[in-house]
Amino acid sequence: MAVKFFGQFLVEKGIVSREALLKAIELQEQKNLKLGEMAVSMGYITQLDIDRAHNAQFSKDMKLGDLLVEMGILTINQLNEVITRQKNTHLYIGEALVLVGAMSSEQLQQYLDEFKIDQAPYVSERIELPAGVENGRIWEMTADLTYKMITRVLDLQFRPEKCKAVTTLESNYMMAALDMSGSVDARYILSVSKGLQKTVAKAILREESVDNESAEILEDTVMEFVNVVCGNVAAKASQMGEIININPPVTIHPSADGLPVPNGHLALCFPIHVSVGEKMDLFLIIKQ
Amino acid sequence: MKKVLVVDDSLSVARQLEKIINESGEFTCVGHAKNGAEAIKMNHLENPDIICMDMNMPGMDGLTALRSLVVLDKEVKVVMVTSLGGVGDKFTEALKLGAKNVISKPFESENVLQILREL
Repeated sequence: MAVKFFGQFLVEKGIVSREALLKAIELQEQKNLKLGEMAVSMGYITQLDIDRAHNAQFSKDMKLGDLLVEMGILTINQLNEVITRQKNTHLYIGEALVLVGAMSSEQLQQYLDEFKIDQAPYVSERIELPAGVENGRIWEMTADLTYKMITRVLDLQFRPEKCKAVTTLESNYMMAALDMSGSVDARYILSVSKGLQKTVAKAILREESVDNESAEILEDTVMEFVNVVCGNVAAKASQMGEIININPPVTIHPSADGLPVPNGHLALCFPIHVSVGEKMDLFLIIKQ
Repeated sequence: MKKVLVVDDSLSVARQLEKIINESGEFTCVGHAKNGAEAIKMNHLENPDIICMDMNMPGMDGLTALRSLVVLDKEVKVVMVTSLGGVGDKFTEALKLGAKNVISKPFESENVLQILREL
C-alpha cells in the first residue's frame, strides 16, 4: 500500500530473506563505484583530488562532480563520461540478488513484473505548475502522490484545482506542516476543514466514529497523514535519484487572515475540493 | 503471549498498532514510547520480546535508538514501522543496524501481524 523499492518488496513478500538482501546490497556497494571512485578508476583524478574537493564541500553546497569541474580538476566532458560509465555499469538490486544466488534470472523478470503491478498506483501523472518553478518534477510528484494518498488512504472523491502561486495561505480549520531538506528546502502544508479533519481521523484510526476523540488525537491523525504522504514522497524521490529528508510534522492554527508567505519563499497552492463547505489545500512553501 | 512495545511519536499510530497487536490474541502491547530515549527506558522496564519503532521522531530518532537497543539488549527483536520504508537507503541502514524487518506506512493489519509472527 506504499511506495517501495524492489528489495523491500521482495523481503516483504518472503521471496528473499533479509540476509540474502543484505548480501546483495553488500555486492552492490562493492561493484557500484561512487563518482569520485569511478573518476579515479578511469585515470582522470587521484584520491588526493577527491580529498581536496571533499574539504571544499564544507564551505560550498555543491555536488562533488560539479565541484571537481569548478575546481578545474575534471573537465565537463570527463564528468559526463564518468556519469555515463556509472550508469552503464550500475549493478541493480535484482541483478545482485541473482548473482548471490537468491533467485534465478527468470524469477527476477517475473518478480519485476509483479513489482510493477504493485507500484502501478503510484506512477506519477503530469501536474501543471506555474512556469519556472525549480525542481518542478519533485513538486509535481509531491502533489500527485498527495492526490493518490487522498484516494487510497482517505478513500475520498475530490476535484483538484489548478496549481497557483500565492502570497498568503488561505485560512482553514487546521494545518499540518512538515519540513523537507536535502535536494529541496521546503515546507509541506496540508490544511483541512473541520469536517475533513474527522474524515482523516476515521481513516487513520480505522474507526466508524471519532465523535468522542480528543482534539489532540484528531490533530495527530492529520499530522500522521502528512507524515505518511511525505515519507512516500521521499521514497519516490529516492527512485528519481534525489534525497529528501523529512522532519516530524507539527500543527498550525492559522488566524482568519491566513498565513503570510515568508520572504524569499515561493508558495504553491493546490486547492482540493471535496464537497460543499469541505475543503483542503496542499501548500508547498519552497525556499528560493 | 509475546510482549510488544510500540514506539511512535504519533498517538494515532500508537493507537492503531496497539489495537492490531492486542486484538490478534497472539501478542500483547506492553506500552507506548514517544521517542527513542523513552524506548530504551521502557525496554529496560518492560522487557518486551518485540519493539515496533518509527524512524522519524523528535528527540532521539528510531535509527539512533536502534543502534543502542541492539547493543543493550541482544534478545529484543526490532521492527521499524515507518513512512520512510520505501527509501532504499533508510531500509538498508535499518537492516544493517540489526532491525529484523521494515514495515512501510500506510500498513495493513495482516501485514503487520504476519511480520511479527515470522520473528
